[in-house]
Amino acid sequence: MRRNSPPAFACWIFESVIPAPHCEAMLGDLIEEYTLRAESVSPLAASRWFWSQACRSVPSMVWSSLRSRDWLISMSIAMGVYIVLGTLKFAADLTISKFIAPRPTTYVVLAPVVFLVATSIGGCVAARIRRGATIFLALIVMITVAVLIAVRVCTIPVPWWYQFGFLTLGPLSVLLTPAVFARSSPLAGGSATLKQ
Amino acid sequence: MRRGELLGSLEHIILLALARLDGDAHGMIVRREIEERTSRNISIGAVYATLERLEAKGYVSSFTGEPTPERGGRAKRLFRLEAAGKRALQVSQQTIRNMTAGLNGWERI
Repeated sequence: MRRNSPPAFACWIFESVIPAPHCEAMLGDLIEEYTLRAESVSPLAASRWFWSQACRSVPSMVWSSLRSRDWLISMSIAMGVYIVLGTLKFAADLTISKFIAPRPTTYVVLAPVVFLVATSIGGCVAARIRRGATIFLALIVMITVAVLIAVRVCTIPVPWWYQFGFLTLGPLSVLLTPAVFARSSPLAGGSATLKQ
Repeated sequence: MRRGELLGSLEHIILLALARLDGDAHGMIVRREIEERTSRNISIGAVYATLERLEAKGYVSSFTGEPTPERGGRAKRLFRLEAAGKRALQVSQQTIRNMTAGLNGWERI
Protein backbone atom coordinates (compact mmCIF):
# COMPACT_ATOMS: atom_id res chain seq x y z
CA MET A 1 0.00 0.00 0.00
CA ARG A 2 1.43 3.35 -1.06
CA ARG A 3 1.26 6.37 1.20
CA ASN A 4 -2.14 8.07 0.88
CA SER A 5 -3.61 5.28 -1.18
CA PRO A 6 -6.68 3.61 0.28
CA PRO A 7 -6.73 -0.12 1.05
CA ALA A 8 -6.80 -1.77 -2.38
CA PHE A 9 -8.69 -4.85 -1.19
CA ALA A 10 -11.45 -2.73 0.40
CA CYS A 11 -11.73 -0.80 -2.89
CA TRP A 12 -11.96 -4.05 -4.76
CA ILE A 13 -14.73 -5.39 -2.52
CA PHE A 14 -16.54 -2.11 -2.93
CA GLU A 15 -16.21 -2.12 -6.71
CA SER A 16 -17.25 -5.77 -6.92
CA VAL A 17 -20.38 -5.50 -4.81
CA ILE A 18 -21.80 -1.98 -5.09
CA PRO A 19 -24.09 -1.49 -8.10
CA ALA A 20 -22.36 0.38 -10.94
CA PRO A 21 -24.33 3.67 -10.99
CA HIS A 22 -23.44 4.45 -7.36
CA CYS A 23 -20.00 2.89 -7.12
CA GLU A 24 -17.95 5.62 -8.77
CA ALA A 25 -19.37 8.54 -6.77
CA MET A 26 -19.27 6.67 -3.47
CA LEU A 27 -15.76 5.35 -3.93
CA GLY A 28 -14.61 8.81 -4.99
CA ASP A 29 -16.13 10.26 -1.81
CA LEU A 30 -14.43 7.61 0.31
CA ILE A 31 -11.04 8.18 -1.35
CA GLU A 32 -11.35 11.96 -0.92
CA GLU A 33 -12.18 11.59 2.78
CA TYR A 34 -9.48 8.95 3.22
CA THR A 35 -6.84 11.36 1.86
CA LEU A 36 -7.95 14.10 4.27
CA ARG A 37 -7.96 11.71 7.23
CA ALA A 38 -4.59 10.18 6.30
CA GLU A 39 -3.03 13.65 6.26
CA SER A 40 -4.78 14.99 9.36
CA VAL A 41 -4.82 11.90 11.63
CA SER A 42 -2.74 8.93 10.42
CA PRO A 43 -2.79 6.57 7.43
CA LEU A 44 -3.54 3.64 9.75
CA ALA A 45 -6.58 5.32 11.33
CA ALA A 46 -7.70 6.42 7.88
CA SER A 47 -7.41 2.84 6.60
CA ARG A 48 -9.42 1.59 9.55
CA TRP A 49 -12.09 4.19 8.84
CA PHE A 50 -12.08 3.28 5.13
CA TRP A 51 -12.55 -0.41 5.88
CA SER A 52 -15.36 0.31 8.32
CA GLN A 53 -17.14 2.55 5.79
CA ALA A 54 -16.70 0.05 2.93
CA CYS A 55 -18.01 -2.89 4.98
CA ARG A 56 -20.94 -0.97 6.48
CA SER A 57 -21.96 0.54 3.13
CA VAL A 58 -22.31 -2.76 1.30
CA PRO A 59 -25.51 -4.01 3.06
CA SER A 60 -27.25 -0.61 2.66
CA MET A 61 -26.49 -0.42 -1.04
CA VAL A 62 -27.32 -4.06 -1.76
CA TRP A 63 -30.64 -3.63 0.06
CA SER A 64 -31.32 -0.40 -1.82
CA SER A 65 -30.56 -2.17 -5.09
CA LEU A 66 -32.94 -5.01 -4.18
CA ARG A 67 -35.68 -2.52 -3.35
CA SER A 68 -35.26 -0.71 -6.64
CA ARG A 69 -35.62 -4.05 -8.46
CA ASP A 70 -32.22 -3.69 -10.12
CA TRP A 71 -31.67 -7.20 -8.86
CA LEU A 72 -34.21 -8.61 -11.35
CA ILE A 73 -32.03 -7.52 -14.27
CA SER A 74 -28.87 -8.81 -12.57
CA MET A 75 -30.59 -12.08 -11.72
CA SER A 76 -31.82 -12.54 -15.32
CA ILE A 77 -28.31 -11.91 -16.68
CA ALA A 78 -26.81 -14.35 -14.17
CA MET A 79 -29.40 -16.98 -15.07
CA GLY A 80 -28.76 -16.52 -18.81
CA VAL A 81 -24.99 -16.79 -18.36
CA TYR A 82 -25.47 -19.84 -16.15
CA ILE A 83 -27.64 -21.64 -18.72
CA VAL A 84 -25.21 -20.96 -21.60
CA LEU A 85 -22.15 -21.96 -19.58
CA GLY A 86 -23.91 -24.92 -18.01
CA THR A 87 -24.68 -26.23 -21.51
CA LEU A 88 -21.08 -25.72 -22.64
CA LYS A 89 -19.74 -27.38 -19.49
CA PHE A 90 -22.08 -30.31 -19.96
CA ALA A 91 -20.77 -30.73 -23.53
CA ALA A 92 -17.17 -30.50 -22.27
CA ASP A 93 -17.86 -33.06 -19.50
CA LEU A 94 -19.43 -35.42 -22.04
CA THR A 95 -16.46 -35.09 -24.40
CA ILE A 96 -13.98 -35.70 -21.60
CA SER A 97 -15.77 -38.75 -20.21
CA LYS A 98 -16.29 -40.31 -23.67
CA PHE A 99 -13.07 -39.52 -25.52
CA ILE A 100 -10.34 -37.83 -23.47
CA ALA A 101 -10.59 -39.49 -20.06
CA PRO A 102 -12.93 -42.47 -20.12
CA ARG A 103 -11.46 -43.78 -16.84
CA PRO A 104 -13.13 -42.42 -13.66
CA THR A 105 -9.81 -41.53 -11.99
CA THR A 106 -8.71 -39.30 -14.88
CA TYR A 107 -12.16 -37.75 -15.01
CA VAL A 108 -11.99 -36.91 -11.28
CA VAL A 109 -8.81 -34.94 -11.95
CA LEU A 110 -10.10 -33.14 -15.06
CA ALA A 111 -13.61 -32.31 -13.80
CA PRO A 112 -12.51 -29.58 -11.32
CA VAL A 113 -10.34 -27.96 -14.00
CA VAL A 114 -13.29 -27.77 -16.42
CA PHE A 115 -15.53 -26.54 -13.60
CA LEU A 116 -13.15 -23.76 -12.54
CA VAL A 117 -12.53 -22.65 -16.12
CA ALA A 118 -16.29 -22.56 -16.75
CA THR A 119 -17.06 -20.59 -13.58
CA SER A 120 -14.19 -18.16 -14.27
CA ILE A 121 -15.40 -17.51 -17.82
CA GLY A 122 -18.97 -17.22 -16.51
CA GLY A 123 -17.89 -14.66 -13.91
CA CYS A 124 -16.05 -12.59 -16.54
CA VAL A 125 -18.99 -12.68 -18.98
CA ALA A 126 -21.52 -11.76 -16.27
CA ALA A 127 -19.30 -8.93 -14.98
CA ARG A 128 -18.81 -7.66 -18.51
CA ILE A 129 -22.59 -7.38 -18.98
CA ARG A 130 -23.43 -6.15 -15.48
CA ARG A 131 -21.19 -6.08 -12.42
CA GLY A 132 -23.94 -6.99 -9.93
CA ALA A 133 -24.78 -10.15 -11.88
CA THR A 134 -21.64 -11.92 -10.61
CA ILE A 135 -23.04 -12.13 -7.07
CA PHE A 136 -26.18 -13.84 -8.35
CA LEU A 137 -24.14 -16.14 -10.59
CA ALA A 138 -21.96 -17.12 -7.63
CA LEU A 139 -25.10 -17.86 -5.61
CA ILE A 140 -26.61 -19.94 -8.42
CA VAL A 141 -23.37 -21.94 -8.75
CA MET A 142 -23.19 -22.50 -4.99
CA ILE A 143 -26.83 -23.64 -4.74
CA THR A 144 -26.50 -25.95 -7.76
CA VAL A 145 -23.34 -27.58 -6.40
CA ALA A 146 -24.96 -27.98 -2.95
CA VAL A 147 -28.01 -29.64 -4.52
CA LEU A 148 -25.84 -31.95 -6.67
CA ILE A 149 -23.84 -32.97 -3.58
CA ALA A 150 -27.04 -33.53 -1.58
CA VAL A 151 -28.64 -35.77 -4.23
CA ARG A 152 -25.33 -37.62 -4.76
CA VAL A 153 -25.12 -37.20 -8.51
CA CYS A 154 -21.43 -38.17 -8.52
CA THR A 155 -21.23 -41.96 -8.42
CA ILE A 156 -17.43 -42.02 -8.27
CA PRO A 157 -16.24 -42.22 -4.64
CA VAL A 158 -14.44 -38.95 -3.78
CA PRO A 159 -13.23 -37.47 -0.46
CA TRP A 160 -15.30 -34.75 1.28
CA TRP A 161 -12.76 -31.99 0.54
CA TYR A 162 -13.13 -32.66 -3.18
CA GLN A 163 -16.83 -31.78 -3.03
CA PHE A 164 -16.16 -28.94 -0.59
CA GLY A 165 -13.69 -27.54 -3.13
CA PHE A 166 -16.43 -27.39 -5.77
CA LEU A 167 -18.78 -25.73 -3.29
CA THR A 168 -16.34 -22.97 -2.30
CA LEU A 169 -13.94 -22.48 -5.21
CA GLY A 170 -16.69 -22.34 -7.84
CA PRO A 171 -18.48 -19.26 -6.41
CA LEU A 172 -15.10 -17.71 -5.50
CA SER A 173 -13.79 -18.03 -9.05
CA VAL A 174 -17.02 -16.41 -10.32
CA LEU A 175 -16.40 -13.44 -8.03
CA LEU A 176 -12.61 -13.18 -8.12
CA THR A 177 -11.69 -13.77 -11.78
CA PRO A 178 -13.48 -10.70 -13.21
CA ALA A 179 -11.96 -8.54 -10.45
CA VAL A 180 -8.46 -9.86 -11.19
CA PHE A 181 -8.92 -9.20 -14.92
CA ALA A 182 -10.38 -5.75 -14.26
CA ARG A 183 -7.37 -4.82 -12.11
CA SER A 184 -4.82 -6.04 -14.64
CA SER A 185 -6.55 -4.34 -17.59
CA PRO A 186 -5.21 -0.84 -18.33
CA LEU A 187 -8.61 0.15 -19.75
CA ALA A 188 -10.49 -0.77 -16.60
CA GLY A 189 -12.19 2.25 -15.10
CA GLY A 190 -11.51 3.25 -11.52
CA SER A 191 -8.22 1.96 -10.22
CA ALA A 192 -7.91 1.61 -6.49
CA THR A 193 -4.93 3.90 -6.16
CA LEU A 194 -4.94 7.64 -6.35
CA LYS A 195 -4.06 9.10 -9.70
CA GLN A 196 -1.94 12.04 -8.60
CA MET B 1 -45.43 14.64 -0.17
CA ARG B 2 -48.48 12.42 -0.19
CA ARG B 3 -50.95 12.84 2.63
CA GLY B 4 -50.12 10.68 5.60
CA GLU B 5 -46.63 9.90 4.31
CA LEU B 6 -43.98 10.92 6.81
CA LEU B 7 -40.25 11.10 6.32
CA GLY B 8 -38.12 8.40 7.91
CA SER B 9 -35.65 9.62 10.53
CA LEU B 10 -32.61 9.33 8.26
CA GLU B 11 -34.54 10.89 5.36
CA HIS B 12 -35.46 13.77 7.64
CA ILE B 13 -31.89 14.26 8.84
CA ILE B 14 -30.45 14.09 5.31
CA LEU B 15 -32.96 16.63 3.98
CA LEU B 16 -32.08 18.92 6.89
CA ALA B 17 -28.38 18.46 6.13
CA LEU B 18 -28.98 19.41 2.49
CA ALA B 19 -30.99 22.43 3.61
CA ARG B 20 -28.17 23.48 5.96
CA LEU B 21 -25.54 23.04 3.25
CA ASP B 22 -27.65 25.31 1.05
CA GLY B 23 -26.46 24.30 -2.41
CA ASP B 24 -25.15 21.30 -4.24
CA ALA B 25 -23.55 18.76 -1.92
CA HIS B 26 -22.06 15.34 -2.46
CA GLY B 27 -22.63 12.32 -0.23
CA MET B 28 -19.51 12.68 1.91
CA ILE B 29 -20.24 16.35 2.74
CA VAL B 30 -23.75 15.32 3.80
CA ARG B 31 -22.33 12.47 5.89
CA ARG B 32 -19.79 14.82 7.53
CA GLU B 33 -22.46 17.42 8.31
CA ILE B 34 -24.61 14.77 10.01
CA GLU B 35 -21.66 13.37 11.93
CA GLU B 36 -20.61 16.81 13.17
CA ARG B 37 -24.09 17.85 14.25
CA THR B 38 -25.47 14.58 15.62
CA SER B 39 -22.33 12.56 16.52
CA ARG B 40 -23.97 9.79 14.51
CA ASN B 41 -21.38 7.80 12.58
CA ILE B 42 -23.41 6.71 9.58
CA SER B 43 -21.98 4.93 6.56
CA ILE B 44 -21.65 6.54 3.17
CA GLY B 45 -23.75 3.65 1.81
CA ALA B 46 -26.66 4.55 4.10
CA VAL B 47 -26.41 8.19 2.96
CA TYR B 48 -26.44 7.28 -0.74
CA ALA B 49 -29.21 4.70 -0.32
CA THR B 50 -31.37 7.33 1.41
CA LEU B 51 -30.51 10.03 -1.12
CA GLU B 52 -31.47 7.58 -3.86
CA ARG B 53 -34.85 7.04 -2.19
CA LEU B 54 -35.37 10.77 -1.76
CA GLU B 55 -34.53 11.31 -5.42
CA ALA B 56 -37.10 8.70 -6.44
CA LYS B 57 -39.69 10.62 -4.39
CA GLY B 58 -38.69 13.86 -6.13
CA TYR B 59 -37.40 15.54 -2.96
CA VAL B 60 -33.83 15.87 -4.22
CA SER B 61 -32.20 15.92 -7.64
CA SER B 62 -28.69 14.89 -8.59
CA PHE B 63 -26.16 15.50 -11.30
CA THR B 64 -22.63 14.32 -12.00
CA GLY B 65 -19.73 16.70 -11.42
CA GLU B 66 -16.24 16.72 -12.89
CA PRO B 67 -13.72 13.99 -11.95
CA THR B 68 -10.89 15.27 -9.76
CA PRO B 69 -7.41 13.83 -8.97
CA GLU B 70 -8.00 13.83 -5.19
CA ARG B 71 -10.93 11.49 -5.78
CA GLY B 72 -8.81 9.04 -7.76
CA GLY B 73 -10.18 10.44 -11.02
CA ARG B 74 -13.77 9.73 -10.04
CA ALA B 75 -16.66 12.09 -10.60
CA LYS B 76 -18.76 13.56 -7.79
CA ARG B 77 -22.49 13.07 -7.64
CA LEU B 78 -23.98 16.30 -6.38
CA PHE B 79 -27.39 16.49 -4.74
CA ARG B 80 -29.75 19.43 -4.51
CA LEU B 81 -32.82 19.92 -2.32
CA GLU B 82 -35.91 20.44 -4.48
CA ALA B 83 -39.08 22.40 -3.70
CA ALA B 84 -40.97 19.15 -2.97
CA GLY B 85 -38.23 18.22 -0.50
CA LYS B 86 -38.54 21.59 1.25
CA ARG B 87 -42.31 21.08 1.52
CA ALA B 88 -41.81 17.57 2.89
CA LEU B 89 -39.41 18.96 5.47
CA GLN B 90 -41.88 21.66 6.50
CA VAL B 91 -44.69 19.08 6.89
CA SER B 92 -42.42 16.80 8.89
CA GLN B 93 -41.19 19.61 11.14
CA GLN B 94 -44.77 20.80 11.66
CA THR B 95 -45.85 17.26 12.59
CA ILE B 96 -43.12 17.07 15.22
CA ARG B 97 -44.08 20.51 16.56
CA ASN B 98 -47.75 19.48 16.73
CA MET B 99 -46.93 16.25 18.52
CA THR B 100 -44.64 17.89 21.07
CA ALA B 101 -46.84 20.96 21.71
CA GLY B 102 -48.27 20.96 25.20
CA LEU B 103 -46.06 18.17 26.50
CA ASN B 104 -44.60 19.28 29.79
CA GLY B 105 -41.09 18.12 30.61
CA TRP B 106 -41.01 15.68 27.67
CA GLU B 107 -37.30 16.35 27.13
CA ARG B 108 -36.62 14.50 30.39
CA ILE B 109 -38.31 11.27 29.17
